[in-house]
Amino acid sequence: MSGAVGREAVFPTRQSLGLMKNKLKGAEIGHSLLKRKSEALTKRFRDITRRIDEAKQKMGRVMQIAAFSLAEVTYAVGGDIGYQIQESAKQARFRVRAKQENVSGVLLPTFESYTQEGVNDFGLTGLGKGGQQIQRCRETYARAVETLVELASLQTAFLILDEVIKVVNRRVNAIEHVIIPRTENTIKYINSELDELDREEFYRLKKVSGKKQRDVAAADAEILAARQKAAEEQAANPKAPAATAVPVQEEETVDVLGEQEDNDVIF
Amino acid sequence: MEGLFFNVNGGYVEGIVRGYRNSLLSGQNYSNLTQCETIDDVKLQLAPSYGDFLASLPPNPSTSDLASRMTDKLVAEFKYLFAQATGSSAKFLEYMTYGYMIDNIALLITGTLHERDTRELLERCHPLGWFETLPVLCVATNIEELYNSVLIETPLAAYFKGSLSHQDLDELNIEIVRNTLYKNYLEDFYNFINTHPDFSGTPTQDVMAEVLQFEADRRSINITLNSFGTELTKLERRKLYPEFGKLYPEGSLMLSRAEDVEGVALAVSAVADYKAFFDAVGLSQGSSGLGGMGGGPADGKSLEDMFYQKEMDLSKLVFTRQFTPAVVYAWMKLKEQEIRNVTWISECIAQNQKERIGNFISVF
Repeated sequence: MSGAVGREAVFPTRQSLGLMKNKLKGAEIGHSLLKRKSEALTKRFRDITRRIDEAKQKMGRVMQIAAFSLAEVTYAVGGDIGYQIQESAKQARFRVRAKQENVSGVLLPTFESYTQEGVNDFGLTGLGKGGQQIQRCRETYARAVETLVELASLQTAFLILDEVIKVVNRRVNAIEHVIIPRTENTIKYINSELDELDREEFYRLKKVSGKKQRDVAAADAEILAARQKAAEEQAANPKAPAATAVPVQEEETVDVLGEQEDNDVIF
Repeated sequence: MEGLFFNVNGGYVEGIVRGYRNSLLSGQNYSNLTQCETIDDVKLQLAPSYGDFLASLPPNPSTSDLASRMTDKLVAEFKYLFAQATGSSAKFLEYMTYGYMIDNIALLITGTLHERDTRELLERCHPLGWFETLPVLCVATNIEELYNSVLIETPLAAYFKGSLSHQDLDELNIEIVRNTLYKNYLEDFYNFINTHPDFSGTPTQDVMAEVLQFEADRRSINITLNSFGTELTKLERRKLYPEFGKLYPEGSLMLSRAEDVEGVALAVSAVADYKAFFDAVGLSQGSSGLGGMGGGPADGKSLEDMFYQKEMDLSKLVFTRQFTPAVVYAWMKLKEQEIRNVTWISECIAQNQKERIGNFISVF
């Protein structure tokens, strides 16, 4: 496991352990939030897919009817009216308004169609003949365009959502499979390193105290030997005072933390 | 008497037209066409009448291509007749082309108004409405120039004169211009066949008067029906009605006052034919049946269909008369209807809407 994701290059210190733990917590919160976002988006995405399907089928029907009504116009008028209509159109009657919709932080453009009342540029086309067919054809095509606008809005949302869902899922997966394991690994590593240091420290202290005890024991033995020798000497030469023993005692109990001059202390 | 010398000048043309008439599609042909599964089948069925003109079409041609080839044949045949006609017959044939000229000029005026390159518009013009000075219209860059120096030279100048000024061209809706011209044209044509010494008192006057009267009435009724709900005022509307026909003057007056479909039905009720049409499509009861071919009432016929049917019946009757160039007119109308029929059938086939395929008008 640790080989696959590795760990971050940090010094195994207590500070970085704290950092890593925070990071892990953050990653877990982020993961659950992103997961929820992804689910919300996917739900929306499925909804849109279904609506696109419906809209496309509707478009098929509507466009067929519209094309046929144009055939009716051709029959009734007996000629091509396309050019005249193209030329007489000055203002758009059918307009599209773009809006934004917010789905879990993703801005989706939606198009809303509306007809500008009072704009009727070919009201008189087909006055001589075929006027009714032309009017009906125009209405049919207006409905067809409405369906197209709806479809366009859905398709745009579809593309954008698709992209966003991919990004979000990639993030979720990255957090789940890379960042969290790596952070955990790092924490494990830092912990093991710290334990190792603890153990080394403990061993060192143990070693130091062992040495100290040995030294103390040796010193004790020396003092003891010296005392015995002195006692023997006193026994042999009782005139000599016990003064020799006292300086030795004093030497032994020198206060380390005392205020006296130390040779190796520089400041 | 009129038959005595007619054939000296007009016999050949009439003979040719009667020959053309026999190549019109019959009911049998139409029922074969409706059985077709693809446009290629349609093409095959049309081969006896249109063979040489359809031969160059690619497989599965578009409906509009098919229609334009059929129109090409009509144009070619008409041009031949036109070249053969002399004297008053030639004049008569010329009158027939004025209707197309009006459409072409309306197209060019629209183009000029919007400052388009009018040259490309020439390709869209109907070949029958072509006249020598038509390309000159492209020279004009603004409406005033067009009116003062170019339109005056066209055969239609008389129709502009007195009813449309160059300001009108600029301000009025092109449809009003077109319909004004058409009104003047119909009146002139009517006047021509009634007063020309070669035609007055001949079968030409009889049949053409009836056909033109019907055409005038049809336009009046259509204009009225189509103007509902638009900004066209009643006064302007009245100016567009041709001043002859079975409805003129009482019916026209009532039409000009009509505010809804019931008003129109009332206005035309004096003429039995039109009353029958309105009754048949149910327009006299309520305006819901305005739909026509779409959600149409009764047997799916709209008022337009009724008028086309009537026009075809009139045209068919013309062939019972002899010694008249009116047969050319009738043949033209029949042929145009035939092109519309075939276009309709092939549209239905192309769009897979077989249930409405029978909605055409077969004459023979």
